[in-house]
Amino acid sequence: MNDDDVDDRFGAFTLDELSDYLDSGRDPVRDDIESDAAARAALVRLGELRAASSELLDADVRAADGADEGWIAGVLASIRTTAHAGRDIPVPDDDPSSTLVVTEGAIRGLVRALGDTLPGVLVRRTRFTGDLSVPGGPVDVEVAIVVDPAAPIRSRADELRTIVAAALAEHAPFEVRSLTVRVADLLAPGRNQ
Amino acid sequence: MPNPEFVTREPKPDPRGPTLTEDTQLSFLSDGSLVERSADGDAAAFGVLIHRYGPLMRAYAARILGHGDGEADDAVQEASLLAWQRIDTVEEPDRVRTWLFRIAANKALDRLRRRHPHLDLEALPEASEDRPVDEVVATRMQVDALAGVVQNLPDAQRAVWVLREIGGASYAEIAEQTGLSAASVRGLLARARRTVLEQMEGWR
Repeated sequence: MNDDDVDDRFGAFTLDELSDYLDSGRDPVRDDIESDAAARAALVRLGELRAASSELLDADVRAADGADEGWIAGVLASIRTTAHAGRDIPVPDDDPSSTLVVTEGAIRGLVRALGDTLPGVLVRRTRFTGDLSVPGGPVDVEVAIVVDPAAPIRSRADELRTIVAAALAEHAPFEVRSLTVRVADLLAPGRNQ
Repeated sequence: MPNPEFVTREPKPDPRGPTLTEDTQLSFLSDGSLVERSADGDAAAFGVLIHRYGPLMRAYAARILGHGDGEADDAVQEASLLAWQRIDTVEEPDRVRTWLFRIAANKALDRLRRRHPHLDLEALPEASEDRPVDEVVATRMQVDALAGVVQNLPDAQRAVWVLREIGGASYAEIAEQTGLSAASVRGLLARARRTVLEQMEGWR
């Protein structure tokens, strides 16, 4: 490497070595570096710069002061037209000349909308396991939810099971072999936007 | 007695507490939950995620690019759209911040490459635009001073420095993202670090 010009040393060590040592959290302790006064002074300096570096983006965001709203609005406007539809699920139908499908995304949207109506509950994810390509085939459904820790978690989960089971019985083009509700996370009010 | 059918009633509040369908309630969700909801097709959850990290992604892209504000806007918009398309491929939903930063960096690096068809490793430092760095150092807060120093690094050095010192990317990740050899990454980073250290000398 032709980078002789950057091979400046602080005591016996290069900037590269000292930065890596700092990145390691100075653990394990390297006595050879710690006992070198010039190297130690450089480490202090690098530590200060590291702190300033980690502040840099936050300072930029504060300085931007809402200037992000424009591009964010543009992005969100264009993604509403490209939903994640998932797989097509055929709807059982006696007429061989027609094909009717419902997307996984539509059924997920249904489960999400139902779950969100329960107080203290938000739906996190709905998964379908099974051969969705067979009309009316057996499918295992798992609904992962996020619950307000102040809500009665057990009864909310039971309520959700009941309303989701009823809705799938009516609208899903498959046979629900099993329906599992999993509490995957807790809501944390006060989390930043 | 009035016919009860014709009495207007206030809807009774649900005794079990308020429901959580409002977008503001989505902001109570963890990163991981927002990722999974987005992957299920909920654009509102993705919106919360982008409000949470978009400004930082844009700042990160802007620091990699150094200058040209419109470029950072374009880079972060493209990055966000790509993130939505690929949100169902996130392997560690709780670490989505790192994933988003990586996409933002890639979009910024694409633009940097267009500036220099071969990320110009030997580029001389560009003349600082209007004021000497010393003056910047003397008159601004340390973070602002650092921002000025970093901004004036040559493109490749700056990109590598930002990926490492702000993005926390490993040498191997930087090499992969930039297409540079590991040795070049080390060399660029060493030069950038030395310049930063020297020019920040006044801030003790």
